[in-house]
Amino acid sequence: MPSNRKITPSTLSVTDLPWQILWDKDRCTLCGQCTAVCPVQAIEPAVFRKRIVNTVLNVTADISDAHTVYYGIRQKTDPAYRCVGCATCQMVCPNDAIKPARGDDFDKLRFHMNRGGQPRRRGGRRNVPGSLLDRIKFIRISMLTDPALDAGRHEFELRTLLGRVLPPEQNLAFLRENGWIPPVREIYPLIIGGMSFGALSPNMWEGLQLGIAYLNEELNMPVRISTGEGGCPPRLLRSRFLKYVILQVASGYFGWDEIIHALPDMKEDPCAIEIKYGQGAKPGDGGLLMWHKVNQLIAAIRGVPPGINLPSPPTHQTKYSIEESVAKMIQSMYMATGFRVPVYPKISATSTAMAVLNNLTRNDYAAGLAIDGEDGGTGAAYHVSMNHMGHPIASNIRDAYLTLVAVGKQNEIPIFAGGGIGKTGNLAANAAALIMLGASGIQIGKYVMQAAAGCVGSENDRCNICNLGLCPKGITSQDPRLYRRLDVDDVAQRVVDLFLSFDTELKKIVAPLGRSTALPIGMSDALGIDDRHAADRLQIQYVV
Amino acid sequence: MNDKKHINIIARENGARMETRVLEEKVQAAVADGYRRLNIDAFGQHGIGGRLYKAGDDPVTIRITGHPGQRVGAMGFPNTDIRIFGPASDDVGWLNAGAHICVHGHAGNGVANAMAQGKIYIEGNIGARGMTMTKHNPRFDPPELWVLGGAGDYFGEFMAGGVAVICGYDAQNPDNVLGYRPLVGMVGGRVFVRGAYHGYSDTDAIKIPIDDDAYDWLNENLKIFLARIGRDELFSDLAERDAWTLIRARTPMEKKGRPLRTMTDFRHQVWDRELGDGGLVGDLTDIDRRPIPLVPTGELRRFVPVWENRQYAAPCEATCPTGIPVQERWRLIREGRIDEAVDLALSYTPFPAAVCGYLCPGPCMTACTKQTALIEPVDVSLLGKASIHATGPEIPPTGETRIAVIGGGPAGLSVAWQLRLKGHDVVVHDTASRLGGKISSAIPSLRIPEEIIDTELARIRDVIPHVQLEQPINADMFNEIRSSVDYTVIAVGAGKPRTLPIPGRERLVPALDFLSQAKTGRAAVGRRVVIIGAGNVGCDVAAVAHQLGAEDITLIDIQAPASFGKERAEAEKVGAKFKWPCFTKEITDAGVVLTSGEVIPADTVFVSIGDAPEIGFLPDDIQTEAGFVGTDPHGRTSAPDVFAIGDVVKPGLLTDAIGAGRRAADAIDDIIAGKRPAGRLRPVIDTRRVTLEYFDPRITEYSDADHCSSQCSSCGTCRDCGICVSLCPQAAISRNVIQTDDFEYIVDADRCIGCGFCAAVCPCGIWNLVENNPLT
Repeated sequence: MPSNRKITPSTLSVTDLPWQILWDKDRCTLCGQCTAVCPVQAIEPAVFRKRIVNTVLNVTADISDAHTVYYGIRQKTDPAYRCVGCATCQMVCPNDAIKPARGDDFDKLRFHMNRGGQPRRRGGRRNVPGSLLDRIKFIRISMLTDPALDAGRHEFELRTLLGRVLPPEQNLAFLRENGWIPPVREIYPLIIGGMSFGALSPNMWEGLQLGIAYLNEELNMPVRISTGEGGCPPRLLRSRFLKYVILQVASGYFGWDEIIHALPDMKEDPCAIEIKYGQGAKPGDGGLLMWHKVNQLIAAIRGVPPGINLPSPPTHQTKYSIEESVAKMIQSMYMATGFRVPVYPKISATSTAMAVLNNLTRNDYAAGLAIDGEDGGTGAAYHVSMNHMGHPIASNIRDAYLTLVAVGKQNEIPIFAGGGIGKTGNLAANAAALIMLGASGIQIGKYVMQAAAGCVGSENDRCNICNLGLCPKGITSQDPRLYRRLDVDDVAQRVVDLFLSFDTELKKIVAPLGRSTALPIGMSDALGIDDRHAADRLQIQYVV
Repeated sequence: MNDKKHINIIARENGARMETRVLEEKVQAAVADGYRRLNIDAFGQHGIGGRLYKAGDDPVTIRITGHPGQRVGAMGFPNTDIRIFGPASDDVGWLNAGAHICVHGHAGNGVANAMAQGKIYIEGNIGARGMTMTKHNPRFDPPELWVLGGAGDYFGEFMAGGVAVICGYDAQNPDNVLGYRPLVGMVGGRVFVRGAYHGYSDTDAIKIPIDDDAYDWLNENLKIFLARIGRDELFSDLAERDAWTLIRARTPMEKKGRPLRTMTDFRHQVWDRELGDGGLVGDLTDIDRRPIPLVPTGELRRFVPVWENRQYAAPCEATCPTGIPVQERWRLIREGRIDEAVDLALSYTPFPAAVCGYLCPGPCMTACTKQTALIEPVDVSLLGKASIHATGPEIPPTGETRIAVIGGGPAGLSVAWQLRLKGHDVVVHDTASRLGGKISSAIPSLRIPEEIIDTELARIRDVIPHVQLEQPINADMFNEIRSSVDYTVIAVGAGKPRTLPIPGRERLVPALDFLSQAKTGRAAVGRRVVIIGAGNVGCDVAAVAHQLGAEDITLIDIQAPASFGKERAEAEKVGAKFKWPCFTKEITDAGVVLTSGEVIPADTVFVSIGDAPEIGFLPDDIQTEAGFVGTDPHGRTSAPDVFAIGDVVKPGLLTDAIGAGRRAADAIDDIIAGKRPAGRLRPVIDTRRVTLEYFDPRITEYSDADHCSSQCSSCGTCRDCGICVSLCPQAAISRNVIQTDDFEYIVDADRCIGCGFCAAVCPCGIWNLVENNPLT
């Protein structure tokens, strides 16, 4: 691109970009690794002109004026090739000669991310750092008032229930009349939420599943993982590992015919079936897996031909009301597995969540409700949906729990919280806060990508290009050249590490509260916050 | 001991229990008073027997009967020997700092908790959390706990030193003499166990063999223990070496996490075994999913460089209507092949000198990539002028196809030249007496020396022998010619001057007439001249009129004049005035009367508002459009055997006419060969691929052809500079000689990482970095 050129309204300078490449000519060895690895070709090798002029006042003397060149790295300023700050260049640079740095001015790129009238789409989550959950403190320390527990020494049994727990008399009546009671699973309270095969690379998906299997079979931790809505590989459906899997059905219904075909061959029932109605990252919006990502493998798992667009509409096409969605879908999904598998809906957090919950309380089959808050992540969504749509998770969970308390069913329908839990790294603290606000369990997605696979995306709008399939870590790419950067075993090991450390941290939180065998669900007297309004809203203590 | 004073203390007052504090005061007072043997009848008082330092180094013996409370011997001193004749409550020997404590019975929870020195002997079992938090201070001997029976749950938690010996004799739970979850958090000390136990914290402790030293110690001290508790008879049973286990704390270096299976082993042994080979999706794909590094080579590269030499036309070539690959000529000059550079043009045009050297405004230079960086383009007219000496190409024998070309101007001669060079039989027909069309007849000799035209025409006549001059073309003649050949090319130009439908139009002199008369010395002009139409032809008229004596020359136009370049400069040089907008109302003997009423005095008034083709001779099957012949891009008319090129199709530059001739010749040649006319145009290169940083931006003019050639960026055609080879960080690029006179640059895929250096540094834009083929 000539420096002297016609400009357009979208012609930007490096200063206008949010991420700026700092390149050190003296340290650069011209090895080309940074340009080879840059996921978005934001940098390119370049030839620079150098003019060397030696002047003297004596007009008869020789005046030298030489042009020479040197080689180096240049950052592109075309919005289509903007630096996303992933720093993979820095990672491969043998000499620390290059790195992205955040510009110090309010970037101008944001005004030009709509070429051709197409608004910005991206991956990641709401670009707002920080979390209210981090401000919640555990203020009830059982100094001498309760059995003093030692998180490192005592035995804990931190489990939660997924499934409808009817009152004993009702359960007995059920059993008498139907020879059946709603199935309930005793599982680990931290669940890996739905990320589809397709949104994630095969190596990432297998790494997560492998880690889950290890946690269950080697460490006796009953951790569960949701498939997301991209179907489930046939081998997994026919293996004993299916027990650890929550099958998700969503508006795209991908792979469900393969699941149905596998029913006769299933050795184990799945843990549960999750009906996705909404997603915290993009509430009320759907998704589209672009045709070029639908390769042979994804197509086979989703039960479609390769190379076609796969839309997940914002709504289920044949569900017109809460009653219908709840009654029809839940019942149908129960029937699929002989009424042996709990079925629950997942919605995005919303001020209307109580309507859904109220409906569930009247449906004895409803096994729970998963609520996904505004800080949830996604592989692709409109920026506006991600940044501005949705409801904070804390108050939604609290309202839901208190609603159940009001109708006396707080021990009957578990609520699962998702969306931005561990956003700032404080997974156990955030999870414990939500549990004490009333959640029976926690779903995490983005945190797993960060902890188990090294996702560099951030709420400062770093990377966030999952939608392009160019993930520098190979997490969300379908290109073997990228996803082979991810070692399945390494991902699995990190899953194990994260769950073990979470487990210890959760014990460190609940042991001083005097809890070792029962999860402190709704134990809100242990919570405090230094914000009067938040305290009032959440009905927890205001502490300063 | 017998010679010491002794005292009996009954820990009751008036039949009621004496407070712990009161008993403690009595005991301390007795010791202070010199009593060294205290018999205490306890009644639930706590902490009996500790802290008896007032005796100094004198041994003090405490004999407890009754029921001692908790923490017997707490904070005991080394001088103290405590004996409890019966069971003891919790926390026996708590924080013991040296006392010997012997319990003739069971002891409760927390025996020896936080003990650092001293010895505790228990004749029965102990409760939970015995030997927890014990220490070994190196200044003293390690503490010891001897238990004849078994230990309760959580034995040895956080044990940090000392020795515990659990004899397992008549234990409360013979199946598990160490209790539930023993030795969690143990960091120091050792434990001898005799009897069955159910594991211990493997991460903290380790079972070791009992060597002779250990056994000797056990043997010797077991005797002492049994003697103390008065059970010597058990020695032979208990001393049986094989019944004992020795467990010690792991050192920090030996500490390990839970003994976990590696993930890889789990995948192989569990995961793949359940799912099948290839794991989760092994049944659906055999794609290799093993890990790779960040910057791989070969097929795993994300990008691949491609050497696209000559795939793209340089902007000069692409812009030249004739299509001359200018950059190739500079290359030949750089290679010292000047003759070839000069001769090359004849493959494209019969007028390389006249047009490229003199008459062409040079679109190639306007389009030169260097202009994008405001660098002076290389001067092609130097090369054009040199072409006067070009050697004519070899002429092949003619085939059977015969082609007639109507019109011997630039277009007609171009098509005839090309067709003849392709081996076809061509006849050129022209109404004039001399070939060359406007080049010969209308372009002032000011602009080009006559000998240049003569030389090039002579060269043309050598190539095209069949020329019919002074042949009027009418409908009959056209039909006759057409029927006698296979293809006919109409290249009659635009010879009919346009004029103005105004009063006095008979006074107007058409520019073309004037210019051609001037060439033959037959023109005359008045002193005051007005030229209506200020285009380049008008400028030519002005210059020639000046030459013939005109002094006051005015060019008028209805809009800003379209003239440019050398013609405009020439006219301005002779003092011609340009005036616009001017709308002519009439021509009178006074001059030109404008609609505004102004009169521009003139002795001679020329009209140069363009010329129209004379195409009245065309038959009906050849369609015309607005007075011009309509053709497709190859020059073919609505009649398949008739082509039309040059000004008869669309007015243009000489080079446009020559280019149209060349394209038509290519098409006719294709058709003769039975192919669809393909066109020979290469796409033009994206100039952003060209690297101009190598060129000096301060050059304003070029001294000669060598200088030009050195500064040509050779867009799209490799300069063979080898910069890519030098810059490639992987040494993946090499130059490969093909036969003797050609070369290519090739990439070793096994070395290349796809960094793009080759593409970025190439001065000519040859290397293209493309996405690698998808892997699926």
